[in-house]
Amino acid sequence: MLISYNWLRELTGTKLTPLELRERLTMVGLAIDSVDENEGDSLLDVEVPSNRPDCLSHVGIAREVAVIEKSKVQSPKSKVPKTQGKASDFAAVEIEDPYLCSRYAARIVRGVKIGPSPDWLAKRLNEIGQRPINNVADITNYVLHELGQPLHAFDLTKLNGQKIIVRRARAGEKLQTLDGVDRVLDNEMLVIADAERPVALAGIMGGLDSEISTSTVDVLIESAYFDPDSIRRTARKLGMDTEASKRFERGADCENVVNAQARCVELICEIAGGIASEDVIDVYPRPLTARSITFRPERVESLTSLRVDVAEMDRILVALGFVEGAAAKDTKTFVVPSWRVDVSLEEDLVEEIARHVGYEHIGSELPPSAMAGEYQPAELKRRKIRRALTSLGFDEAINLSFIDPAHDEVFALAATNQLATQSSFVTLSNPILEDVTRMRPSLLPGLLQSLRHNFNQGTRDVRLFEIGRVFAGPDGDELPHESESLALILSGGASEQDRAQASRELDFYDLTGALQAAISALNLPPLVFAEAEVKHLRAGQSANISLADGTVIGSAGTLSETISAGYKFRQRVYVAELDLTAVFEIAEHEIKYTPLPRYPSVVRDVTLLVGRNVAFTELVGAIESEEIDDYQRVKLVGTYEGQNIPAQKRSVTLRVEYRSDQRTLRDEEVEERHRRLLDSLLKKFSAVLH
Amino acid sequence: MQRPFHGLNQIGAFKVMTNPNSPEDPRVAVESARKAFEQEFERFVRLTDASALALSLADAETEQRALADLRTRHMGKKSALAACKKLIGKVAPDERAAFGQLVQRAEAEITERVTTADETLNSLLQSARRERDRIDVTLPGRRPRQGHIHPITKLRERIEDIFVSLGYAIEDDREIETDFYNFDALNIPANHPARAPQDTFYTTEGFALRSQTSTVQIHAMQRRGVPLRMIAPGRVFRRDTPDPTHNPMFFQVEGLCVDRGITMAHLKGTVAEFLRRMFGAQTVTRFRPSYFPFTEPSAEFDFSCFKCGGSGCRICKQSGWIELGGSGMVHPNVLRIAGVDPEIYSGFAFGLGIDRMCALMYGLDDIRLLFENDIRFLEQFD
Ligand SMILES: [Zn+2]
Repeated sequence: MLISYNWLRELTGTKLTPLELRERLTMVGLAIDSVDENEGDSLLDVEVPSNRPDCLSHVGIAREVAVIEKSKVQSPKSKVPKTQGKASDFAAVEIEDPYLCSRYAARIVRGVKIGPSPDWLAKRLNEIGQRPINNVADITNYVLHELGQPLHAFDLTKLNGQKIIVRRARAGEKLQTLDGVDRVLDNEMLVIADAERPVALAGIMGGLDSEISTSTVDVLIESAYFDPDSIRRTARKLGMDTEASKRFERGADCENVVNAQARCVELICEIAGGIASEDVIDVYPRPLTARSITFRPERVESLTSLRVDVAEMDRILVALGFVEGAAAKDTKTFVVPSWRVDVSLEEDLVEEIARHVGYEHIGSELPPSAMAGEYQPAELKRRKIRRALTSLGFDEAINLSFIDPAHDEVFALAATNQLATQSSFVTLSNPILEDVTRMRPSLLPGLLQSLRHNFNQGTRDVRLFEIGRVFAGPDGDELPHESESLALILSGGASEQDRAQASRELDFYDLTGALQAAISALNLPPLVFAEAEVKHLRAGQSANISLADGTVIGSAGTLSETISAGYKFRQRVYVAELDLTAVFEIAEHEIKYTPLPRYPSVVRDVTLLVGRNVAFTELVGAIESEEIDDYQRVKLVGTYEGQNIPAQKRSVTLRVEYRSDQRTLRDEEVEERHRRLLDSLLKKFSAVLH
Repeated sequence: MQRPFHGLNQIGAFKVMTNPNSPEDPRVAVESARKAFEQEFERFVRLTDASALALSLADAETEQRALADLRTRHMGKKSALAACKKLIGKVAPDERAAFGQLVQRAEAEITERVTTADETLNSLLQSARRERDRIDVTLPGRRPRQGHIHPITKLRERIEDIFVSLGYAIEDDREIETDFYNFDALNIPANHPARAPQDTFYTTEGFALRSQTSTVQIHAMQRRGVPLRMIAPGRVFRRDTPDPTHNPMFFQVEGLCVDRGITMAHLKGTVAEFLRRMFGAQTVTRFRPSYFPFTEPSAEFDFSCFKCGGSGCRICKQSGWIELGGSGMVHPNVLRIAGVDPEIYSGFAFGLGIDRMCALMYGLDDIRLLFENDIRFLEQFD
């Protein structure tokens, strides 16, 4: 809101310069965005907090300045007008809905001469960004910016029956507002009507029909108080935001209605001529009751640490318009001025005092130390996962939590959400991005989008991970299910730091390796991968991920060709997602020392030719289940397919380690054990030695 | 076995210089030793000018072996020169000194030439070997590409570390909330515009996507009771159309401290300490009155511009201050709803946007980049 420095000086006689005012007003809670010089005046752009409608005028700001400078606001003076006749001789006012309009005052001025405003008036309005229209309309606008009370002038002769009825609109009723737009109204909206039709959208904008024109001679000046919620709802519904609605919806000053109207009428008579009615039709069915607050001065120090004399507290509150009432031992009573809609509690008074004493006078100290800091246990685990994955070359992604429902049913969801059916997706009723209405049940659509973005930018080698919440529908009226998920995506080459060329292409095992790295960073038993059908993955290159106890918690594999084609990916993409909430629940390994071996171990390599459907883990399982004496462990050396290997076969080389804790094994002992193991493997898997 | 001195004694002293052309004259022996050396050394003469050489490493090594050979033959125990030295004692005493000098000169000359050639060869070899062995030590070291933590996570972790060290617990809770936790419990009136579907996202079941992490404060007070010190970093949602300074989702951190005797001075001290640790020891914090439904009194806090230090620049819009967050003393209604008696306890709360802090800290001109996950962007935050 723009405030003219010269205008403010007329009201306060301020001795502060515009820049000093900027500083001082900011420090009482009225932040000044900018100060601009303009033809001998300065304009202050004040950011008025939403709870301070009383500051949306020059007098409102002047009140704060007067408290700052310990001065008084000088009420604007205008000439006493010529008056004649009772207002009720010329018009009638009726309020149908006193809850939406608790006060309506009408006064008549007859014989005005409509014309352009005098220069001083036009200049002032122009300066604060208001376009001058004609003298009468400009005066109502001027008084609004001076006193904060929105006013409206009707052409009296255009009001059918010279009647004002404040009522709800009838459904479907129409009104063309001053901006030329035809508005269709409903019965939630309050209108000002004459005997026949709406003539104004109450508290928001007048109607075109009853507008002041050059032929207007007699005017009715409206000054009223409308219910804030009603005005806000109507303005929102119609997409309107006017100087009047801005003030009414935050709360106007009920007790300023007649006062502001008098100022307006006086200026009209002075500038546009005419004779005012002797009195006002003031319909006030629900008079405001002033609030009074019990106040314990010691609360100022206990909440703010400021030590303020009680006399200074009184000075500030009284200067702000509070009226001191009955006092008792240690407590005082203050009556809240009608314009301060924001004040109702003792704490509010504490704030009034603190901001005028100045927050800069409040000390600055840490509270006495009392407690030990504490991370969320899951947060420490997340940190370990992030470190493990970034050290493997993954960048961390963060995507929006909402996605397009087109992704529904495309992705297999992590285990905890597997119960989710289409009907139990979480859906936004008011999305901001078109079609993006689902709370994501999976992190994969976001990561695929990120991959597409990177490909579009010419980045070919991409490894990303994301940790975030996923959502599934609620059971009944309960809140939706939220759980945490970890997803990985990778494609392209295994880039090396500071080198242009990747050392090799990434593949499925980079994906599973990264997952194992993340899990082992948490000191948990390794994940178990098993070939499985997963709908978003390519058959034969897709796996379920389970915990050691067999619970399936996610999937990993090559992205299916159909989805790949949909994204126009031209290189293979590997994706995995798992349920972190489940992972965080697993107990950590207990680390226990094992004595170092006292006797040497012997290793034997064996290369088996097995069917391509025999999994490495099956071989390992078979070896372990043999329970061969002195067997220690088996590790993969490598696998080979292709030349010299029959189709449907794969050669697998394993290294088996034997060791006794009692003595050094003799060669023939190892030979005998290894032989036994081989015989069983060859039989079990119809394998041959290679 | 011959005893050399015995033979010498037998021969006895003899006059040598009587006839310089006599083959018996020992000077001839010296001369011939010199000559023989000269002749063989011919091929090494060019070595005196190292720069003229273009020997390969293998050739240089051959030359070095040849030179060593030559040294043995002309300077070794069995060399002609060594024989001449043995003659010195046999020369008549009056001529011995002169002859000795002659031999010495010859020896010095030969030694000097061989040594010079050897040194030349050596330096040649050294540099040839260096050429052979040279690698480019400036090539980038070998390591897999390093991944990057998202800048928001980086800041979030730093904020968490600071507050844990100040004795705060880190808390989080639901992202989809009831109206009670998102609004009512925070003293946001029923008609407050923030509740409107223009500002807050709602699910079709009528639940709100939390619009601030203050929701966590209520849960935490109910769960842990007071006294309490906690911060709640997390994702929040507001219905803003994406533009360079807005996203419909962003990250926020809210802090809460409730105890007996907590005042605004503690709020100021805590926020100032946090900002000093975040932006540097010289950071000055300013509090000014503001309005939030969940605090009373309320304050916004600014910090002295880290770019210009307060003199005014583009980042701080010439004011010297940068707006950072909101704060205040917890509203008595909020305390009561969470089951805390405001007559016994008081507390402060503050909140600030991590995305905004991120934009300030790294000079981001478009915060939509934060959720695009462009590798070229993410790589910049090491
Ligand atoms: Zn600056």
